[in-house]
Amino acid sequence: MRSEPFPQEEMLRQRLPVISIVLVVVSIFLLGRLMSFQLQLDPTVLNYLESVRNSNYSRTLRLAAARGNIFDRDMQALAVNTLEYRVGISPNLVSNPRELATQLAGIMGLDELETFQKLSTNSSWELLAPRVSAEVGHQLTQLNSVAIQMDPIPRRSYPQGTLASHVVGFVGGDLIGYYGVEGFYQSDLAGRERDREVSNIPFVVPEDQREDRGADLILTIDREMQFLAEAELQQAVAETGSTEGTIIIMNPRNGEILAMANYPSYDPNAYYDVNDPSLLANPAIGEQYEPGSVMKVLTIASALELGIVGPNDTYLDQGALEAGGIRIENWDRQAHGVVDMTGILVQSLNVGAATVSLDMGPLAFYGKLRDFGFGRPTGVDLQGEAPGTMYVPGDEDYSDSQLLTNSFGQGIAVTPLQMLTAVSAIANDGLMMQPHVFKELIDDDRQQTSEPSTLGRPISEETARLVTEMMVAVVNEGLDGNASLPGYSIAGKTGTAQIPTPIGYEPNASIVSFVGFLPADDPQVSVLVKLNRPSGYWGSQVAAPVFQRLAERLVILLKIPPDDIRWALQAEGGVVNEISR
Amino acid sequence: MISNNWIDHALRRTPWRNQRQAFALMTLGFFVAMIIGALYLSQAAAVATTGRQLEELINERTRLEQMNEQLRGEIAGLLSVPNLQQRARELGFELAGREDIEYLVIDGYDPTRSRTPVRLEVESVAAPVYEETFSGWLQQQWDAFTGQSNAASEPEVQ
Repeated sequence: MRSEPFPQEEMLRQRLPVISIVLVVVSIFLLGRLMSFQLQLDPTVLNYLESVRNSNYSRTLRLAAARGNIFDRDMQALAVNTLEYRVGISPNLVSNPRELATQLAGIMGLDELETFQKLSTNSSWELLAPRVSAEVGHQLTQLNSVAIQMDPIPRRSYPQGTLASHVVGFVGGDLIGYYGVEGFYQSDLAGRERDREVSNIPFVVPEDQREDRGADLILTIDREMQFLAEAELQQAVAETGSTEGTIIIMNPRNGEILAMANYPSYDPNAYYDVNDPSLLANPAIGEQYEPGSVMKVLTIASALELGIVGPNDTYLDQGALEAGGIRIENWDRQAHGVVDMTGILVQSLNVGAATVSLDMGPLAFYGKLRDFGFGRPTGVDLQGEAPGTMYVPGDEDYSDSQLLTNSFGQGIAVTPLQMLTAVSAIANDGLMMQPHVFKELIDDDRQQTSEPSTLGRPISEETARLVTEMMVAVVNEGLDGNASLPGYSIAGKTGTAQIPTPIGYEPNASIVSFVGFLPADDPQVSVLVKLNRPSGYWGSQVAAPVFQRLAERLVILLKIPPDDIRWALQAEGGVVNEISR
Repeated sequence: MISNNWIDHALRRTPWRNQRQAFALMTLGFFVAMIIGALYLSQAAAVATTGRQLEELINERTRLEQMNEQLRGEIAGLLSVPNLQQRARELGFELAGREDIEYLVIDGYDPTRSRTPVRLEVESVAAPVYEETFSGWLQQQWDAFTGQSNAASEPEVQ
């Protein structure tokens, strides 16, 4: 007899296929889902899942790249990196607040009682100082206290202080360079930040990942010459009561800027203390001024180059000239009779310069001024260069009278660097060189050296020689010996310009300047001296003596012997340029 | 069957023998696992320690680089022109004026001459070619021997 199955057994037998099917379906679904993870996945989801996975296994540290250093031409540091520290403390980890407070107060210069009160709380973190120097940080490290936390803060340091501050620029709190080469070469100096994966798993050996450090920059600036220029400028400002001033020293042969001094200046280590932001800009490249009689050199050079006048051509100076709806007078309001081209420069005659520019006509005159680089930036590798202002026929603000006034440097605005670059073309046999401060760039895997480049040839070698002779005559005959140096041939020209206002010119204020180069027959340096609003009015009385003092130091610094010795050396086959550098 | 009976009989009398074998195998397996585990742990600990040491070395290098930067800045500050001038003044130096400098022109001295009295360049001498062979060695020995015998046979000249 066959026994009847139990009801439960019957029920199980009926339900088992259903359960099996459900389990198989769920398994297939899970398997399919698992395969879908292995095959195709939405990238967003994939990234999310990866980040979740990685967050458990590793963390990302952002390595801030060290900024490249800046050096002068002799590898003297002008800008380096240092560290400061933000110092905090965890009072709940301090075992002996009294002793630690005494130590901290001694090292950090804090009030001991206040420090003790901070340390006596039960909080987990208290700020002790937002910024302390690396030296203080080092002393704090020696305390070996687990309660002290120091967060490094990268800081740009300028060990030369105010020296060449306008050339170097500064790095702001956002670690971005502003002005000067810090601004111009920001991308090269800054380097690149890099993310570093640090594993949380102790068995994973850390990778030696280095940040991409910024490139080091070597400038053409000569630190000693820069110091000399700044010292002379400060003395000149103090003696003449000038409000501002600029001195630029350049090698006319290759366009290297050897020194660029401005007054007033600032300390890039404390740029945030400067109340007037305009002081941060470099006036040697950014300030426009009317150059005055220095422009006559370029007017005569242009006319000689175009063959409109010859060096011995003369004109009858009657003390005044009426043309273009205005009346031009000489600085002394005197007539000078028959005067040749050299005489125009030596006696600095406005009427003579205006007569020459009238002969040239606007097309030729402004064409040549453009060749000399006026009305456009020189392209110097410094941040914040101004283009100058030169109106030409066809411009809305142009008038016929400007052909006359521009010839002696009125109604035209230039930057000091523009003017020095133009005059340096005369020193360099008519070839105008690109002014620059970049000499060399050194990176881990590349070294880049600057090559001299030209901006053009506004005048021929012959014209340059003629104009140089005229400029030598200016120094020897026209300035009462204020710019000459016994034994040395110097070429130069002074400028005195009125200061324009919206309603005309200021009556008793001027901008005086001197531009020259030496030795005249084989120039090694060209120099521009400019002073704003000195107590004396004329360039020959104020700017020329400053140049004279500077030139006296420069010939010693550059080891330039007097002309007779230099010629004797050259007769023996020596080249002074190679001896002194 | 006699033999099977004997085994069954023996197993029935000593049942622990099978258990001991299994126990021994398990123990052996356990010890092998222990050894592998210990080796793994030892290796992992060594890797972890090395990793930490590397991390510390990297941090130390970073700190030293930062200190170098710091020192470079301090040195540059100490070597700034005003500091050097001050130091020179303290040592009794004075700024030279134009009149203090004397330039000398030496007849016949060309400061930019291309030739120097002393030969600075070392002539490149080609490295001798390696030519040692067995026959060459035999030749050398023979030459030495004949040289000696010739010297011995020649009369001594006063």
